Amino acid sequence: MNFRIWAAAALCAFGLTAVPAPSQAQEAGGTLVYIVQPEPPSLASFLSTSGPIGLVAPKIYEGLFDYDNDLKIVPALAESYEVSADGKTVTFTLRQGVTWHDGAPFTSADVAFSVMEVLKQVHPRGPNSFREVTSIDTPDEHTAVFNLANPAPYMLRALSSYESPMVPKHLLEGTDLRNSDLATSPVGTGPYKFVEWKKGQYIRLDKNEAYWQDGMPYLDRLVGRFIPDASTRTAAMENGEVMYGAYGAIPNIDAVRLRDTDGFSVTTDGYSMINPMALIEFNTTKPPFDNPAVRKAVSLAIDREFLIENIWFGYGKPATSALSSNFAAVGLYKEGMPNYPKNADVAGAIALLDAAGIMPDANGVRATATLDLIPYGEDWRRAGEYMKQALAEIGIAIELRYEDVPTWLKRIYADYDFDFNVNYFYQLSDPVLGVHRHYGTDQIRQGTHFVNSSRYSNPELDALLAAGAQEADATKRAEIYGQVQEILAEDMPVANLFEMQFLTVYNDKLKEHATSAMGAYGSFDRAWVEQ
Amino acid sequence: MRYVVKRLLQAIPIVLAIVVLNFFLLQLAEGDAVDVLAGEAGSATPEYMAELRAKFGLDKPLPVQLAVYLKNVVMFDLGYSFRHDMPVSQLILDRLVPTLLLMVATITLAVGFGILLGLVAAMGLNTWRDTAISIFALITYATPLFWVGLMLIVVFSLNLRWFPTSGMENFAMFYEGWDRVKDIAHHLVLPTVTLSLFYLALYTRLMRASMLEQAGQDYVTTARAKGVTENRIMFVHVLRNALLPVVTMAGVQVGALIGGSVIVESVFAWPGLGMLAFEALFSRDLNLLLGIFLLSALLVVAVNLVVDIIYSSLDPRIEVN
Repeated sequence: MNFRIWAAAALCAFGLTAVPAPSQAQEAGGTLVYIVQPEPPSLASFLSTSGPIGLVAPKIYEGLFDYDNDLKIVPALAESYEVSADGKTVTFTLRQGVTWHDGAPFTSADVAFSVMEVLKQVHPRGPNSFREVTSIDTPDEHTAVFNLANPAPYMLRALSSYESPMVPKHLLEGTDLRNSDLATSPVGTGPYKFVEWKKGQYIRLDKNEAYWQDGMPYLDRLVGRFIPDASTRTAAMENGEVMYGAYGAIPNIDAVRLRDTDGFSVTTDGYSMINPMALIEFNTTKPPFDNPAVRKAVSLAIDREFLIENIWFGYGKPATSALSSNFAAVGLYKEGMPNYPKNADVAGAIALLDAAGIMPDANGVRATATLDLIPYGEDWRRAGEYMKQALAEIGIAIELRYEDVPTWLKRIYADYDFDFNVNYFYQLSDPVLGVHRHYGTDQIRQGTHFVNSSRYSNPELDALLAAGAQEADATKRAEIYGQVQEILAEDMPVANLFEMQFLTVYNDKLKEHATSAMGAYGSFDRAWVEQ
Repeated sequence: MRYVVKRLLQAIPIVLAIVVLNFFLLQLAEGDAVDVLAGEAGSATPEYMAELRAKFGLDKPLPVQLAVYLKNVVMFDLGYSFRHDMPVSQLILDRLVPTLLLMVATITLAVGFGILLGLVAAMGLNTWRDTAISIFALITYATPLFWVGLMLIVVFSLNLRWFPTSGMENFAMFYEGWDRVKDIAHHLVLPTVTLSLFYLALYTRLMRASMLEQAGQDYVTTARAKGVTENRIMFVHVLRNALLPVVTMAGVQVGALIGGSVIVESVFAWPGLGMLAFEALFSRDLNLLLGIFLLSALLVVAVNLVVDIIYSSLDPRIEVN
């Protein structure tokens, strides 16, 4: 029960820390050393959405927009935009006087090149975000007109620096994008310039003196440090050697301790555009999970609150639908879906199995299966151990399997050699961007990671997803996604477990680092350190 | 000199055999570098992944891949790490200095203090000094490295604030010149002490046993009969002979130190080869792994040669032919 109290205390703490202290004036100068973990494979954010790249690249590159903590659009490289009445033309007015770090001016040609030649071609999610964009006109240097085949309202939520970075045409055009020098020495328009990457140690960025926002950034230097061991990361934070660690860089068990220590704070702000969802993917093509009743029984038998409170130290929110409740802000989330209890409904699960004719044998076992666990840390192992116990109660005997990342990815997404799999997906800022890939028939793409590995295929749902992507009218769109959520709660190809809350732990001397909805994937343009 | 050349020539087939063996051993791991890269990216098309495989040369049959690799190795080209987007040789060279720093400091500390403590223990056999040293050796030998590392961090970094927790340099300051040397030395202390403690215990026990064994030999009795002083017997006759097994052990362990320091490198975020190999394994960066293995093999061959030469100077009865 202690966990409830902790969680309550945490909520109060956030209430306090979320309020900025207006009386304090920003102090310019200083270095922010923060944790980047693991070391990124490259800094090519136009090629990869890998998490550690997101911790560094958005300080160097910028997007057309940023988003504030209420998910409202904040102008960045685009000063304003206008959508035509039919929704098929979006005109962006670009900021004047912006230069790349090498001194070349930023123009509409860069925007057209970035979207059409880079993001739409080689970015993992770009082909989806910009799928309706047929061409981009550049009537003058500071105007970019996106011509769309169909309205694409979600596109305006995918223009952050992390999701859709604007890259320099003059350095990339005519080169092999996947083999570009920019991957290890990026040149952007952002508040910090790339200086040096010492493999195994750190990435150093220095202040961009020619940044378009006057007086910003406040910091002279950013250093992203790689520290492989979680306990050492915590020690380095306590010792003041690093001041900021996001995306669980400091494990929850240490984060709750630091939260109660003077000089440190913990926040869950800065993840709302990412929307991470913990879930179970079922292999719907073979027993026992080819039967929707068994899938629903699993969803019923798992105590979501228990998982959150005991394994994630109270950080998380039980999932209640295929969509995260964060989509309530845009009206797409539907409440009251069946088969999504907060606490385990063992009797209901057993009744479902009985009704489906799946009866226990002499040992009380109704079905056997192997549960794969995402190899991203000990928490997931604990979750697996809990599920083994919880599912035994309804007569499903499971074995746990925990492999290394490449083996696991190959098993789930290339060989489909699994029964069910615990995983987490980013639902991102719109269902089209983050959720469709999990359920659409067109998303059964063998060998592609983090798509429809359940191989669930439902023409009715496909039609709804297609309609949802194009619908510009908010009410109609809400109706469509309401139906989507109802179908998915009944068919349950994926059982969402809980909306994850990643923790950012920071030294109290660090101020205004959470001004963007992108959080750690933001630019840190306003961050400053009390000397 | 001729001996050295002969030994080096003998090493060539051994090293090649090691390369071939490693190559096939690594193929046993499921998944490849492309799976990892694409997995980290969140999503990637099958076409993109096929393109990457072609670029990395992973689409060719295994014997062809091996032949290409061997050809490159013979020409002193260790290949390219696609994950790091850098030549393997450059990656390894970058990490070699921190690795050697840690290795040399550790070996010096462990062998030096190991010999000293072993000597003290053997000379005061069954006194309180002997017991205290033996208990100390037993405890440090039995304690897991990562735990020692973390405890040293808790005590000396968090509580006493004497040393930094991790890393090789202060990244907020970027010192230059002498200040940088001092800064690196400051960062080197805790990892070296952690790694040394384990080996120190080993050398202490070995040295003690070796001293006791030598002390019972006939030549000691002879020397005593000649009227040589006890100190001279101990430091000139016994010590010199007792050092042989310690030197052998140190030679064998230099190779192990590259790999064995993974835990210490990880705990202290020390940018050495062990961590690089560890990460390379998990990202299936086979070129890089093979390069590190090759370097380790070469190092072991070289150190063994050096040990053989030290033997002959310690004990003139051993000839290097």
